[in-house]
Amino acid sequence: MSILQSIKNAVRSRSIHVSYIDVGSCNGCDIEVLACLAPRYDIEQYGIYVHNNPREADVLLVIGSVTPQWEDKLRNIWEKIPAPKAAIAIGNCPISGCVYARKGSLTTPPVKNYIPIAAEVPGCPPRPTEILSAILSVAPLIFKDYEEKQS
Amino acid sequence: MRSIVYYVREFLRPEWLKKFFFVKTAPLVTPPYFKGYPTLTGKDCTGCFTCMMICPAPDAIAVLRRKEQWEPEVYPGHCIRCGLCVEACPEGVLASGRVTDLARRDATAFWHSFHLEVDESLCMRCGNCCVSCPINRQIDPQLAGTGTSTSDEVIMRVSSGRVRILHEEKCTGCKTCETQCPSGAIRVARMVEGVQFLDGVES
Ligand code: SF4
Ligand code: SF4
Ligand code: SF4
Ligand code: SF4
Repeated sequence: MSILQSIKNAVRSRSIHVSYIDVGSCNGCDIEVLACLAPRYDIEQYGIYVHNNPREADVLLVIGSVTPQWEDKLRNIWEKIPAPKAAIAIGNCPISGCVYARKGSLTTPPVKNYIPIAAEVPGCPPRPTEILSAILSVAPLIFKDYEEKQS
Repeated sequence: MRSIVYYVREFLRPEWLKKFFFVKTAPLVTPPYFKGYPTLTGKDCTGCFTCMMICPAPDAIAVLRRKEQWEPEVYPGHCIRCGLCVEACPEGVLASGRVTDLARRDATAFWHSFHLEVDESLCMRCGNCCVSCPINRQIDPQLAGTGTSTSDEVIMRVSSGRVRILHEEKCTGCKTCETQCPSGAIRVARMVEGVQFLDGVES
């Protein structure tokens, strides 16, 4: 492994930048993501930082079943994120539509129809610990040795 | 000068350095009362479908027949971990957190019934609902193709040009009639009440 790659690995393992988007949730999962930022769960001690700017994000947390307004915009946001990148679906909504997956509902889940999803965290809403461990277990899989895997 | 020396000495203490770089908040453990996905207790499921009836989330639970035994299966990604199925199951097949303990302590339970309603402006009196109903056919195997019946014990029958609902209380909420109705005229409503036994004993 080249020295450059090992430096990149070390930096990336301690600096995961997260952006989250709500594509039509009930706000329950947003609150749980918010709880991750609060001192009790303290997401920054694991080297995860929330910026909410797709241009500097590594990980995109997608929350909510997809409402019509998001169908074209979700892809745009995903493409703004520089590689290496990963999207994680938070909650039942982006996986199955949760309680909104009914006849006559306007939402069009799952989110994986629009962007590639690296991991799914089921729950309505999932616990902050479940969200944290999902980010922490996905990040090394995607970011470690990224350049070497590309070549 | 003395204070600078003091600070440098203080910050060079190995313990301080170690804490500064490596301290973490205590690992978070899931509390034992956390209401997770329902798990099987190992008791025998009778296949009464009460759990599926009460589940508020689409496609979250299915009672499947495995060889000779019924068994409920919960699907993460659909299940919202509300615990209603755990509380509603009469056989104690499912467990989640302390749902069953609390229900026993407070002597609470769910009572459910089904309400059938036919929209007269949509119904075209074909009798499909009466014929397709599995309970109806059990009660009156002679049930005619037009939904007429000579038995007064059936849930519903077509008589004098209308669907008459006779014994709503026998309905099991399977919604077969709803799916067989070509014009969406019949509706099965699930009525669930939470009840508490005041004398503290479950009946
Ligand atoms: S999964 Fe549940 S809590 Fe999360 S956004 Fe959907 S409905 Fe709300
Ligand atoms: S816990 Fe609630 S959502 Fe999950 S299967 Fe049971 S009744 Fe359905
Ligand atoms: S799990 Fe309980 S409620 Fe569900 S079908 Fe079996 S016995 Fe009935
Ligand atoms: S819901 Fe099922 S049991 Fe009830 S009336 Fe309809 S077919 Fe019969």
